[in-house]
Amino acid sequence: MGEMTRHEAEEILRKRFKINSFYDEQWEAISRILRGERILLIQKTGFGKSLCYQFPAICFEHLTIVFSPLIALMRDQISSLQALGIAAKSIHSGQSIEENLQAIEEAKQGLLKILYIAPERQENSTWRDEIKNMKISMVAIDEAHCISQWGHDFRPSYRRIINLVQQLPKYLPILATTATATKQVEEDIASQMSGELTIIRGNLLRDNFKLYVVEVESDDEKLMWLAHNVPRLEGTGIIYTGTISDTETINRWFEHLQIPSMAYSGKLKSENRVEIEEGLINNTWKCVISTNALGMGIDKPDIRFIIHTQFPQSPVHYYQEIGRAGRDGKPTVIILLYNPEDRDLPEYFIENAKPSKNLYQIIINSIQNDLLGQLELMKKNNMNQTQVRVICGDLLEQNIIREVYFENRRKYEFILNSEPFDHSFYEKVKEAKRKELDAMMDYAETTNARMEYLCKHLGDSSDREFTNCDNTNLPKHYYRPNDHWENELRKFRQEDFPILTVESKKSNIINGVAGSYYGATNVGDVIHKCKYENGGNFPNSLLQLLLKAFNANFRKMKFDLILYVPPTVSGDLVRNLAERVSNTLRIPISHDLVKIRKTSAQKMLHNQYLKRDNVENVFSLKDPQIVNGKKILLIDDIYGSGATIKEIGKFLTEHGAELIVPIVLAKTVGSDKL
Amino acid sequence: MQHAAYWITISHLQRWTNAKINDLIKKIYIDNGANLESFFSLSENDWREDYSLDDNQVLSLREAKEQVPNNAFLAESLLHQGYELIPLTSEEYPPTMKENLKMSYSPPLLYVKGNKQLLMEDSIAIVGSRNASANGMKFTENVAKHATEKYQVVVSGFAKGIDRAALDFAMQYTGQSIIVLPQGITTFASGFKTYYKHIVRGDLLVLSAFHPHAPWSVGLAMARNPIIYGLAKNIYVADSSNTGGTWEGVQDGLRKCRAIYIRKTDLGEESANNELIALGGVAVDLHGNQLSSDEIENAANEQKEILEDLADNIVELLAEKMLTAKEICASLDTEMSYQRMSILLKNIDDVEKVKVGKSTKYRVKDLDIFDLRLG
Repeated sequence: MGEMTRHEAEEILRKRFKINSFYDEQWEAISRILRGERILLIQKTGFGKSLCYQFPAICFEHLTIVFSPLIALMRDQISSLQALGIAAKSIHSGQSIEENLQAIEEAKQGLLKILYIAPERQENSTWRDEIKNMKISMVAIDEAHCISQWGHDFRPSYRRIINLVQQLPKYLPILATTATATKQVEEDIASQMSGELTIIRGNLLRDNFKLYVVEVESDDEKLMWLAHNVPRLEGTGIIYTGTISDTETINRWFEHLQIPSMAYSGKLKSENRVEIEEGLINNTWKCVISTNALGMGIDKPDIRFIIHTQFPQSPVHYYQEIGRAGRDGKPTVIILLYNPEDRDLPEYFIENAKPSKNLYQIIINSIQNDLLGQLELMKKNNMNQTQVRVICGDLLEQNIIREVYFENRRKYEFILNSEPFDHSFYEKVKEAKRKELDAMMDYAETTNARMEYLCKHLGDSSDREFTNCDNTNLPKHYYRPNDHWENELRKFRQEDFPILTVESKKSNIINGVAGSYYGATNVGDVIHKCKYENGGNFPNSLLQLLLKAFNANFRKMKFDLILYVPPTVSGDLVRNLAERVSNTLRIPISHDLVKIRKTSAQKMLHNQYLKRDNVENVFSLKDPQIVNGKKILLIDDIYGSGATIKEIGKFLTEHGAELIVPIVLAKTVGSDKL
Repeated sequence: MQHAAYWITISHLQRWTNAKINDLIKKIYIDNGANLESFFSLSENDWREDYSLDDNQVLSLREAKEQVPNNAFLAESLLHQGYELIPLTSEEYPPTMKENLKMSYSPPLLYVKGNKQLLMEDSIAIVGSRNASANGMKFTENVAKHATEKYQVVVSGFAKGIDRAALDFAMQYTGQSIIVLPQGITTFASGFKTYYKHIVRGDLLVLSAFHPHAPWSVGLAMARNPIIYGLAKNIYVADSSNTGGTWEGVQDGLRKCRAIYIRKTDLGEESANNELIALGGVAVDLHGNQLSSDEIENAANEQKEILEDLADNIVELLAEKMLTAKEICASLDTEMSYQRMSILLKNIDDVEKVKVGKSTKYRVKDLDIFDLRLG
């Protein structure tokens, strides 16, 4: 191909993309790509990074392969490319096998210009077999910061992309793009990509952002501030919290106040997630309350506000999360509710990001003896999924084990003559993360321009005047005590009971309710004293709490029978509690639900598979007829993973129970955690 | 591994023999001090001029070059799964192979998984037919056990029968082994599962010289045999019939002047071992020990006498008329198969082959000599 002038290129740009001209920095990247160079392009969200590979893709003779970690983003890009008449398809787990095969087929026949794939696709044997039949002109890598361990979103699957880049012939053009890379991450990416790499870094200023930090002293103050201010904000926005249970609490609080909202987190089923994402795009609610799982790849130009109720782990995380707002360039409000005491949570994540050293050795020993997958490692060593995933990820990184596939099932294999595990690298990473957390707090406490602070921190040192924050030209905001909201909050607290999510299609059990969260209030201490320190029967206050929760949710339902979960260790506490509930509510009680074998205490088992196996088919009724056609209230003290309650629900359903409602004293927060 | 994608590309060039590929590699690395990456960056004209390649060769290289990006995907995937690539130019390339197969037959690229150090060790191969005899199995066990005691690596073709037994005995006696695959290395998943512990312990290396995705085929099974012979310093034959891989392989080895140790079979064993001994193999007993010179001499004399008798009878027979090998067998009322007879006939100086119609007949070369002998 002869060298194309900018004028010629822009002519094609107008015809094919309906865009008038390139930005200078876009053209710089594109002209280099057309010459066959390798580029790392660091530009803020909304800059038009995708065009820098989409445009060369239509100029090249053969296929451009784009690695992208976000299915939603792939979908959006493909539909806009297809609307322009550009042949683009994708291969990812969100599509049917037929759709993926169709995309492969078209790529093989040379019918496609652009093929988006998830980095994990390198593991798929069909893809591996078929790639040899495609003619490739270029490779693009989206979200390239995922390559670096020093980045805020390292992804192990990106390691394979780096290995691929190292094998690709040097005459093949490669474009890696990201919106957020500190200097350290930039250098790390460059050294990993090796070869001749040109780095093009743009400025990070988002001048439509209005940045505020509001200092508060407690979670209650946050709730009251939100109640007062969210309805006054223009447009639709996102509230980011630190934990999943916070998303639920704020959502119930807004429900109480009749502010239209939805709670979102990674634990939702994918169809629910898509539903909420679409609702957000269509402005169905005032706001979506979410963990940081929401946002990357949501193509909504007019998110008008973003509020953080918990400061993130680093300024990079913060910039990335607020970066999702205001892509239309119109004024957008960015607020951080700042309480220095909130440091505990991100600090906990940093300190506990890695399991202890001895667990690493246990996993290494297992793998040395046998070819095992993740599930087998969890069961064999009584570890939870997160632990095994993190350990295996690190062992892969240190070349102590490798992943191999048997019939598309992943197993881990020990690498002959590998070095012993080195924990010290993670100490360095931990230290770097602590510094980043300090920097995040500095952002909240700085008296300088806030956008300037973020840009500098992210390696953008261009000289400009920064305004648009409460340290420059905008007013400061404070929490102001207010009787009205305090009353509302008290009312809300009295009615707010944690939900037990146990419903499933195959069982007649429905979601129940708990009197309280185990860790959040003194209820947990009281239960603990009774159970483990011979504190006697549960006191009347707990019974009252349980009845309140019951009345708030199920007062109108008629029940035929009370059953309770037979104990593993703690004697007759639950039996006594159930008898008192039975007396008060005047519902007959049966003591016939028993275990037919000894079980371990569920909390000693660290993953859901072992918990499920522990209680599977363990329950029995002396006379199963007593539940046939009945509505049953099921009572227990503490709800953890829910495996026991679900198993009883399944068992009673099999014996004809019409409805099962579980109620418990307290629900623990986050069971299958690190 | 640098330039893996290029190595995969050049090692499986369509319609190129190993000799031709190796010759090009030698020109690139040794004569021109270059490497594959720079070679593939050259123009087609440079290929013609600097490497004196003809149009057909340039055409196939052009087609191959288009595959380099794809082979990069393949290379990444192979390396990720723990397969390693050993090109001809590497220090890790087994010296035994180069010594035995030379530039003409050495595969330009080896795909391996496991303990590569085994390629540097003293090694033997035990070969034999798929339908192993009891004595053949006993022999295999003895020789494999003895090899492990001497820290020799046992090279196995992983075929049913003797090959597989050689591997399993080597593992049983905690020795070390190299499996030479008759297929691409990625198609051996079940084997990697079965031998996982041996690989992790460093006792086993799996090796293939074929395209990583190539499925098993008869062609590859035959093409694998020279590689087994190439990797082994010494070759032991447990059982051979007078057709098939072992039979062909041993004769090929003998032609290349390899020392091949062949189990001398007892009378009554259905086996062609002794014929291979007659063709130049070294006779060994059930323990793989070379028979003493007396024994060899006796055996050889015995064999020689039988064969000489037979030869005399044949010459006498053929003096009357031309016959096919089959007809000779029938006339002499011997149980020898006619294929074996053909080989014997080839080795009798006085007899020559003639094509009559579709059949091959034999006759006495020179009636004068015949007359003299009669006299």
